[in-house]
Amino acid sequence: MPDGRIPQIGVVFPRTDALTKVSGEEKFAADYYGQDLVWAGVKRAGIPHARLKSLDVDQARQVPGVIAVLTHLDIPGENRQGVVRKDQPVLVDDKVRHAGDALALVLAESKPALAAALNSIRCELEPLPGVFDPEQALAEGAPLVHEDNPEGNLLLKAEVKTGETESVWEECAAVIEACFETPHQEHCFLETESGWAKVESNGKIVIVASTQTPFRDRTEVAQVLGRDHTGIRVIAPYAGGAFGGKDGITVQSLLGLAALHSQGRPVKMWWDREESFSAGTKRHPARMYYRLGAKADGTLHAVEVRLYLDTGPYDHLGGAVMTQAVEHSGGPYRIPHAWLRGWAVYTNNPIGGAFRGFGVAQVTAAMEQMMDLLAAKLDLDPVQIRLKNAVRRGDKNCVGVTLTGSAGLSECLEKMAAHPRWQERQTWIRAAGLLKRRGVGLAAVMQAVGYGPFVPDVANAKVELTLEGKIRVYSGVVDMGQGNAATNLQIAGSILSQTPAQMELILPDTDRTLPSGSASASRCTYTFGNALIGAAQALKERILQRSADLLMAAGPDELVLVSGLVRRVTTGQEIPLAVLAKWLTDAERIAVYRFRAPVAQERPAKDDQVRLHGLPHCIFSYGAHLAMVEVDELTGAVEVKGYLAITDSGRVLNPQTYEQQIHGGIVQGLGYALSEDFRVTDGLIQTSDLATYIIPTAMDVPDMLSIPVEINEPTGPFGLKGVGEVAMNGPLPAVANAVAAACGGRCYSFPLTSERVLQLMTAS
Amino acid sequence: MREVFLPRTLDELWDLLHRRPEAAIYAGGTDVLVKLRAGLITASGLICLERIQELKGVRDQGDEVYIGAATTHRTLLADPVIQEHFPILIQALNVLGSPPIRNMGTIGGNLVTASPAGDTLPPLYVLDAEVEVRWGDGAKRLPLSQFILGPGKTSLGPGQLLTGVRLRKSADYNVHHFEKVGQRKALAIAIVSLAAVLQVSDSGRIEKARLAWGSVGPTVIRSVEVESALEGRIISRDTLTKAAALAQTAVSPIDDIRAGEAYRRTVAGNLLLRLINYAR
Ligand SMILES: Cc1cc2nc3c(=O)[nH]c(=O)nc-3n(C[C@H](O)[C@H](O)[C@H](O)COP(=O)(O)OP(=O)(O)OC[C@H]3O[C@@H](n4cnc5c(N)ncnc54)[C@H](O)[C@@H]3O)c2cc1C
Repeated sequence: MPDGRIPQIGVVFPRTDALTKVSGEEKFAADYYGQDLVWAGVKRAGIPHARLKSLDVDQARQVPGVIAVLTHLDIPGENRQGVVRKDQPVLVDDKVRHAGDALALVLAESKPALAAALNSIRCELEPLPGVFDPEQALAEGAPLVHEDNPEGNLLLKAEVKTGETESVWEECAAVIEACFETPHQEHCFLETESGWAKVESNGKIVIVASTQTPFRDRTEVAQVLGRDHTGIRVIAPYAGGAFGGKDGITVQSLLGLAALHSQGRPVKMWWDREESFSAGTKRHPARMYYRLGAKADGTLHAVEVRLYLDTGPYDHLGGAVMTQAVEHSGGPYRIPHAWLRGWAVYTNNPIGGAFRGFGVAQVTAAMEQMMDLLAAKLDLDPVQIRLKNAVRRGDKNCVGVTLTGSAGLSECLEKMAAHPRWQERQTWIRAAGLLKRRGVGLAAVMQAVGYGPFVPDVANAKVELTLEGKIRVYSGVVDMGQGNAATNLQIAGSILSQTPAQMELILPDTDRTLPSGSASASRCTYTFGNALIGAAQALKERILQRSADLLMAAGPDELVLVSGLVRRVTTGQEIPLAVLAKWLTDAERIAVYRFRAPVAQERPAKDDQVRLHGLPHCIFSYGAHLAMVEVDELTGAVEVKGYLAITDSGRVLNPQTYEQQIHGGIVQGLGYALSEDFRVTDGLIQTSDLATYIIPTAMDVPDMLSIPVEINEPTGPFGLKGVGEVAMNGPLPAVANAVAAACGGRCYSFPLTSERVLQLMTAS
Repeated sequence: MREVFLPRTLDELWDLLHRRPEAAIYAGGTDVLVKLRAGLITASGLICLERIQELKGVRDQGDEVYIGAATTHRTLLADPVIQEHFPILIQALNVLGSPPIRNMGTIGGNLVTASPAGDTLPPLYVLDAEVEVRWGDGAKRLPLSQFILGPGKTSLGPGQLLTGVRLRKSADYNVHHFEKVGQRKALAIAIVSLAAVLQVSDSGRIEKARLAWGSVGPTVIRSVEVESALEGRIISRDTLTKAAALAQTAVSPIDDIRAGEAYRRTVAGNLLLRLINYAR
């Protein structure tokens, strides 16, 4: 319901999309149909590694209701796509590299005809030995996923060395070594990958897609179709969840290709859940070898990390995910001697890609357990050891970058130390019932904001005074459910003093809004918000200046902007915005502003490729998490009874949206910690649907408390930093530390299913 | 397109079953629709039981309670007779699926699906439930344990319908305990479950015990051996631990994606230790 108030910064601003979503009025990409709709679908390989000998689609073409059956031979442009390295075929032409690979594209009049045609495609696939473990994939003689890759199965290696590496270990009073393994994680957005496309009468291909990256998609689709990007328009409605799983191409290229063969009819593609599981990207599984050393007082001295990330067969941002993992692998701590290495490795497993946390969820899981192991060995309090080493503003972080931005980890930890959930934990633990054990665990978290030093982290905002006198805000960055579109109205409304009813929102559309990068990397409101402030202020100045001219006022100081009109306070004269708009040229009614996020100047990695993939960052959000768990002695079931997240992501613009991000991150993190046991055997997914892949339900979610530590970030819009990802990183280590405290032992593979925990208790 | 029939009386149903013997029956459809989507049911017609009033509701018949097969879990949960006399069934229904599933799913559907993980099965086994089966011109009554033959298998013949479940009221039991171990707290398929009804004396001695396990065998597992290991003994860790060891040999679980055989076996025994909560 549009609120009658002018939005203000720092107070709850009800989401403008809430009612339209609840009532079903809001149109997601999956809701596009239209007259004469054509259904498009894909034949998937079903085996993880094979040479394509032949593809027989004749029979499929004969199926009644089939409009076209297309193969790689029908691709007019390049049959390779990807954000960094172009290594993924739209339709397989030489080899199948994972079971979800696409072999052929079918267009049909109806879903049953589509299914029948897909079933009648005959493909001759010669199975090849596969490779399913990242370390084995790097070994001599391992089967190659891409024969033409000069580095074998290595996609990218990143290495950062600060200080010394050899002698330092003798200087430590305690050294801990351990290896942790985290699994794939499925995004499980409600709206599976979907889109709709049509060739317009002027020849332009319009694609409506559930995507985080409309502008990048346009370029990629153009290359696949061998056209100029101006011949393609990508529209991105609200996405029904994305979490990184729509950071790049899913259905877009296939839909573009399909539209070229649908005789001007609209085409729709909508993956079902099983297809989403098999073809979509997942969080990279990681094997992480850690060595961490400290002085007797707990001062961290040295860390050595080796990370192996299974990127599957294609570079779906795998190099960038691994690089980000390396950058965060030493945690939010000052560590003078760090040797951090990571390998993103090709395998024939499902595709690893972007997922909320972007490599950080994995390394935080490892590092924060290392901190507890170290604290236990030195007999130190887990909060105190973290506080002692926490990075502060002006410190160098673990990759040697001087932190110039705000850094509130210490404040978060201090608040945690004083909080009743920490203070009174012993009483709570002792109150465990019969056959139950309790533990309280914590984790410190951080998350970089933005793309890093090389890829320009740029947003271009556009704000318009319409002829009707409304303020139209052109959102450059997709709202995938997190609420940034509404935040854009809040920002523009607060600067231009307009109520929501006086404003209009245009969602990302390559023909209407300006390129502003992806909805990812905790950057949406940080980067776009900065641009939007600039554009809104420019429009405000113009409105006041032109009104002053019209009213023959000495200057704009006599004027104020209120909802729907400009008032000259010295005389009481008013000009409705609709009237003013008519005095402006079309160009004058629009203000645009570009913002580029600051970048760190250090070059911690020798290899320029690592810089290109995003290392290092200069702005980070931080947090301290606490989990209260109860373990059942009979079943090993872990129940999270309470959760506390204290977060520094700068100032809070809208407390409600902020809390939703924290809560959502915690829940997704708890699934990762406890139940989301994604299993792949020889490249085949065993947990292929939501009946076997177990995400938390409302019943599994504990009482969650979110407390912001509102430190001003000088470069942020109204002092904010990104909040979309940081909470994702805490639950696994906090829960793991709590379970270890309860059970007196620790699991090193995740998630902590009842079966694993019962085994642990039996062993210890 | 598939035809869906909505008979309103049993007579209409018998007639339909006669005319369309290949059609598939469904009540709430919460199992059938999943199978339809997966292509496991290909019948050209569907017959829905939802509108047949004779198949719905709980009837208190003195010593016995009759539950119509098409009664939803939600209705049973709200029923005062079930609440009073069969609290163990209530406990199981409370953790069956989720609210939407309980609104649609029926007790008859749960029994005919005959999954070893079906949540109403272990309670109904310990309550010695009987089922009523009818066909065009006949009817019979048989113990549930004879009705269910194996995973997904019942003794229903062609043209036969499960019309109801009969439960005898009994004042014997003062402990009614159901526990399900799943992978989460709702929408969880049982990895192991235990239904136990006990008569415990004031001094804490188990006078009578009836136990049944779900998901650790082809059908619900009962064990007279374990029951007798409890009967006559005081509830104690020692007694329960001994019974647990027996239970672990009585069950015959399998490995699947949800849990390993060893885990299921261990936990099937361990769950007995929960009964310590009822020690006097
Ligand atoms: C998401 C989800 C979660 C679930 N969670 C659980 C759970 O936690 N525990 C659990 O036990 N089950 C669970 N189930 C399974 C299902 O909900 C139950 O088995 C339910 O009781 C089935 O009842 P129904 O009326 O929907 O059956 P239907 O799907 O209508 O029918 C099931 C079978 O019974 C037959 N049938 C139904 N009624 C009769 C009758 N009167 N006579 C003869 N045959 C009949 C049908 O032909 C069919 O073979 C779940 C299902 C889903 C989809």
